[in-house]
Amino acid sequence: MTAQAQTLTAKDFKSDIKPVWCPGCGDFSVLSAVTKALAELQLRPEKVAVVSGIGCSSRIPAYTNVYGFHGVHGRALATATGLKLARPDMTVVVTGGDGDGFSIGGNHFLHACRRNVDMTYIVMDNEVYGMTKGQASPTTDPDWCNSKLTPEGPGVTKLRPLNLALAAGANFVGRGFSGDPNEVARLIAEGIQHPGFSFIQVLSPCVTFRSEQRGWKDIVRKDTLKPRHTMAEAMQVLAEDDGFNTGILFAGDRPPFQPGQKAVTELAAIERRFAS
Amino acid sequence: MNDVAVFLAHALALEEEAADRYSELADTMAVHHNDDVAALFRRMASFSRMHADAVRGRAANVELPHFKPWEYQWDGPEGAETGPGDRTHYLMTPYHCLQFALTNERRGRDFYDGVAKSTTDDEVRRLAEQMVAEESEHVLVLEQWLGQTPKPPADWDADPDPPVVND
Repeated sequence: MTAQAQTLTAKDFKSDIKPVWCPGCGDFSVLSAVTKALAELQLRPEKVAVVSGIGCSSRIPAYTNVYGFHGVHGRALATATGLKLARPDMTVVVTGGDGDGFSIGGNHFLHACRRNVDMTYIVMDNEVYGMTKGQASPTTDPDWCNSKLTPEGPGVTKLRPLNLALAAGANFVGRGFSGDPNEVARLIAEGIQHPGFSFIQVLSPCVTFRSEQRGWKDIVRKDTLKPRHTMAEAMQVLAEDDGFNTGILFAGDRPPFQPGQKAVTELAAIERRFAS
Repeated sequence: MNDVAVFLAHALALEEEAADRYSELADTMAVHHNDDVAALFRRMASFSRMHADAVRGRAANVELPHFKPWEYQWDGPEGAETGPGDRTHYLMTPYHCLQFALTNERRGRDFYDGVAKSTTDDEVRRLAEQMVAEESEHVLVLEQWLGQTPKPPADWDADPDPPVVND
């Protein structure tokens, strides 16, 4: 609590474009949380970029009043990495879904964690491809059989995004729930402020294709993850995790990757070396 | 809650958050061509804004503290009158909308009632009791409104062109 009034409010970070998400979609809360976090940090809109891939949740750049890039499926992190390296003065937030981030963009995800560029990646995880009308994604349970593409269920072990992010080297790892948008705003604000690559998984129900996810509100546990500072400690927590604990799991101290602004060698010298 | 400024900051946030949620739901319903419910949500948003203005009036001589969204002392994850978005449906009817609003108003009344009962500050108690009375009036109006609104048919959510087509 402070006595000072805020100059910028969450409304200043929302655009005039109305979301086309289904009523009840968890992504509304994440949009609200992103704008609240940006307002709390009092970032200038012209100093923020939201980058996304493809999918329902990837529409977020259009709904925010900052720089935005609605890119190619699974390639949001590559675009965002280039942006941050070219413009280190910008705050870069990446948004997307579980299919975009862990399947099509899975490889980029691994290397973004490893590279540790200073940006914040928010994945709205509903365990389904919603925009294409409900197919299994990498985080879908193996026995989910409500898609004609996988009538007996995908039968494949579901991916555990936090484990992956941690093992690959992300410097900040957390999980939130869209049913608690104010807590998600806190996680996003913390993630943006933490140096390096921050990964935040937000359990965000798809009320249309996974209507049973409305029940998540009864099983999600608030703030049960407390920041660990070593990978070993965080991994130990994940060994017991059922995917419904929320909070900050890991806050590391790896320095972010940011190449110098000056070339370390002359282009002509490289060309000479190549030619010899 | 034992400080008038803190109490009024909560009262203001409660109404503003509720207004924002109603506006968001109105926009969503408009996008899904459910115009009757969109209009009703807009009315609810305007009521909440009116109530927010009333709180601002009461707080005219008080310097309100700024709370981060996650610092408010709500009983649940959001402001007491902020309706959870997952309780909505693109085919919901005005009846459902009023039920939704009624639940929110009851939660608002209970929030103030809890403050009135637990505070040790006389001025906060007096204000909270005033709010309980106001919220109780809103509850009554909504109950009457709901009583005059036709109940939806059993198949209100039947959609001849459903979004769930797995072919």
